Amino acid sequence: MPRPVILKSNKYGINLIMDRDMDFEELLACIKERFQESENFFRNAKMAISFEGRRLTQEEEFRIVDTITSNTSVNIICILDNDVLREELVRQKIEQFEEEQAGKTGEFYRGTLRSGQVLDCESSVIVLGDVNPGAKIISKGSIVVLGALKGTAYAGANGNELAFVAALEMDPIQIKIGEIIARSSDNKPAAGKRRLRKAKVTIEPQVAIVKEGNIYIEPITKGLLNNI
Amino acid sequence: MSEVIVITSGKGGVGKTTTTANVGTGLAQEGKKVVLIDTDIGLRNLDVVMGLENRIVYNLVDVVEGNCRMKQALIKDKRYPNLSLLPSAQTRDKSAVSPEQMVKLIDELKEEFDYILLDCPAGIEQGFKNAIAGADRALVVTTPEVSAIRDADRIIGLLGANEVKRTELIVNRLRMDMVKRGDMMNINDVTDILAIDLIGAIPDDEQIVISTNQGEPLVGSDCLAGKAFANICHRILGEEVPFLDLEIKSSVWGKLKEIFKKN
Repeated sequence: MPRPVILKSNKYGINLIMDRDMDFEELLACIKERFQESENFFRNAKMAISFEGRRLTQEEEFRIVDTITSNTSVNIICILDNDVLREELVRQKIEQFEEEQAGKTGEFYRGTLRSGQVLDCESSVIVLGDVNPGAKIISKGSIVVLGALKGTAYAGANGNELAFVAALEMDPIQIKIGEIIARSSDNKPAAGKRRLRKAKVTIEPQVAIVKEGNIYIEPITKGLLNNI
Repeated sequence: MSEVIVITSGKGGVGKTTTTANVGTGLAQEGKKVVLIDTDIGLRNLDVVMGLENRIVYNLVDVVEGNCRMKQALIKDKRYPNLSLLPSAQTRDKSAVSPEQMVKLIDELKEEFDYILLDCPAGIEQGFKNAIAGADRALVVTTPEVSAIRDADRIIGLLGANEVKRTELIVNRLRMDMVKRGDMMNINDVTDILAIDLIGAIPDDEQIVISTNQGEPLVGSDCLAGKAFANICHRILGEEVPFLDLEIKSSVWGKLKEIFKKN
């Protein structure tokens, strides 16, 4: 006859596999016995417990936990839910929440990002400093650099093509929004050559957005901001 | 109070060893007790630049492994008795020393010397980690070229992450003729990107090649590079020194000569 109560340990603690039809009081006695048998093994352990094989009411769950904690030295920290459907729902809600967050709120990052440093954010990010060549910013939302963007910016990292990248000085190596990548032009004036040109090249704040499947970099005007 | 300064760059060949030799010698000229440590295990050349390679008996790895005492490994400089060199090993590699061992070694030297200068190898791996282990302060050397600046930026980020408290910049091998033509970045372009304090700008000087080959650091001598290094030493000692005007001014006679040469 298969055992009415089987204990299986997993990453987080114990999975209690119970016989479905047995009478609850008998089951409780079996559980108590199993745990007491394994007292030496579980001594003072802290673990999470999950239930399988039988539908339990909340009261029944609590009674089981109570039995275990009062009869052995095991510490049950929490009860894990094994319900696959509920897990899926929760996961979806969390992802939805994250996406909304990515659109509405942002985080600040103070300081300059140097070559080799990577800033990975769930929400939109505003950098109070420069992004040097070789540095990378990744965000699920949009990116604003209150300084010079000379590195790589990857906005809308979860596929959101409505994200934008804005900078006071837009001189990036690569920009990626959603799945679309754009790189800086190959015909860069040699470093230093700028000085010779009499006409001053004005550096103005610009924003990169996706239009018709391509990335466009345009000066920031009121009209543009309203349309993002 | 001893000061432990690491001279690093990330990129190779920008002038770390030359700077270490000259700044060390310059500080010794000012009367300070200085020790130079070559942490480039396996590819040592601080001893060559100082002209002391034929005096090496023991080296850094011997001290760390306990094969000899510190005194036996330290080599006194030819010209300045208050300047010493702790050479590196040529037959081992950078895994022979750990950052903890470096800290212990530096603590021992702190009792005897005012300034401890560490010549860092190129790269960001074990050699770099060993060199910055005991340092309070860093001098980042770069040339005004995109690749060197990119690497210097990375190094500055790593120094910040490893909590080296002071970092200052030295721009080496400046060629003012190229800067004027717009072919080379000027100092402001470099400091704009790297965003740390500038402590010295050294022009590209033929004399450096000569001095390296002869094993005699040229700090304090009459050439522009020598003066620039001397100024760096004064700034390290806390004095305010205005930056040199690095343009090579041609005299009227020189200009006439140029005209005749063209014809």
